[in-house]
Amino acid sequence: MNNLNAILLPIIFLSVFVYCIIKKVNTYDNFVKGAKGAISLVVEIFPYIASILIAVALLRLSGITAFLTKMFSPFFNLLGIPTELCELVMLRPFTGSGGYGILENIFKTYGADSYISRCACVIMGCSETIFYVATIYISKTKVKRLLYAIPVALFCSFVGTIVACLVCKVF
Amino acid sequence: MMLSSILVLLITNPAGILTEMISASTKALNLCLQLCAIYAVWLGILQLVDASGLSEKLAKLLRPFIKWLFRVDDVETQKAIALNLSANILGLGNAATPMGINAMQKLDDGTGTANFAMIMLIVVNATSIQLLPTTIIGLRTSAGSTNPADIIFPTLITTFITTALGIVLVKAIDKIKERKNEQS
Repeated sequence: MNNLNAILLPIIFLSVFVYCIIKKVNTYDNFVKGAKGAISLVVEIFPYIASILIAVALLRLSGITAFLTKMFSPFFNLLGIPTELCELVMLRPFTGSGGYGILENIFKTYGADSYISRCACVIMGCSETIFYVATIYISKTKVKRLLYAIPVALFCSFVGTIVACLVCKVF
Repeated sequence: MMLSSILVLLITNPAGILTEMISASTKALNLCLQLCAIYAVWLGILQLVDASGLSEKLAKLLRPFIKWLFRVDDVETQKAIALNLSANILGLGNAATPMGINAMQKLDDGTGTANFAMIMLIVVNATSIQLLPTTIIGLRTSAGSTNPADIIFPTLITTFITTALGIVLVKAIDKIKERKNEQS
């Protein structure tokens, strides 16, 4: 399984390049054009990442995080979610870019290949910044009421967290 | 969130506030540099996918599925949804956003209340059907993981379960609502 995972990405890259050559698409120019977009994307998300990391740092320094973690961790532990992941699970619906920051913290603290880190990766991979997505997506429509969209999304995300912690134990 | 922590810190540790804020923002800058590198690779590839016409093919492939899931018949709307889902599948959440906004505008019926397809799009995006968590793999690589891609399979299983659950729930709630409307 691990071998398959490791060669999956190179195979995808290779097939894209081969397909481009068959289709006579200028690979270099197009790659450059795409890569250029990375700068503006990062410039756009930097303020969000910075704000959320500052907020998280202050929350931590003030001891509020520790307090909340202590309060919720018995409930989370009961469902198989390790205490170390409480922060990520609680903040994930509010911040996508900030989630990457928390993920970085987890990598540094526990090592990128630890069970905690792998769980965190899967949780990040199968969830979204629900409140952000919902707000941004309808920002250009007339919709004011989202009905049951948010509760369903939050519920599924939470189930995903539990599943992620289970699956990472097996694989 | 920030206000309450600053209030607490004012009492417990007023000297540490600014240092901590600046160190966090430095961390954010470093992270953005890493993300920029990751995006450069993936947006480069994505541009190739787009320019070679592969994305059109992907959209065509997804179309029957989208028709069934969202119950929309308009081809342009289907295409917008297809592009949004494809970017999500590739793990490029930030790149998926503009396409999602576009799809939402096309789905808007002006009533002020979200319709079935809109709710479905939000839920499917929220459970983020993701086949390749590219950004996360990139971050893991720079954190020194020995096999950064070994989270692909667990992510696949989990994302499949949550997305399926989301779809079933939205469809079920919609059915219940329809029945209620019929009765009243």
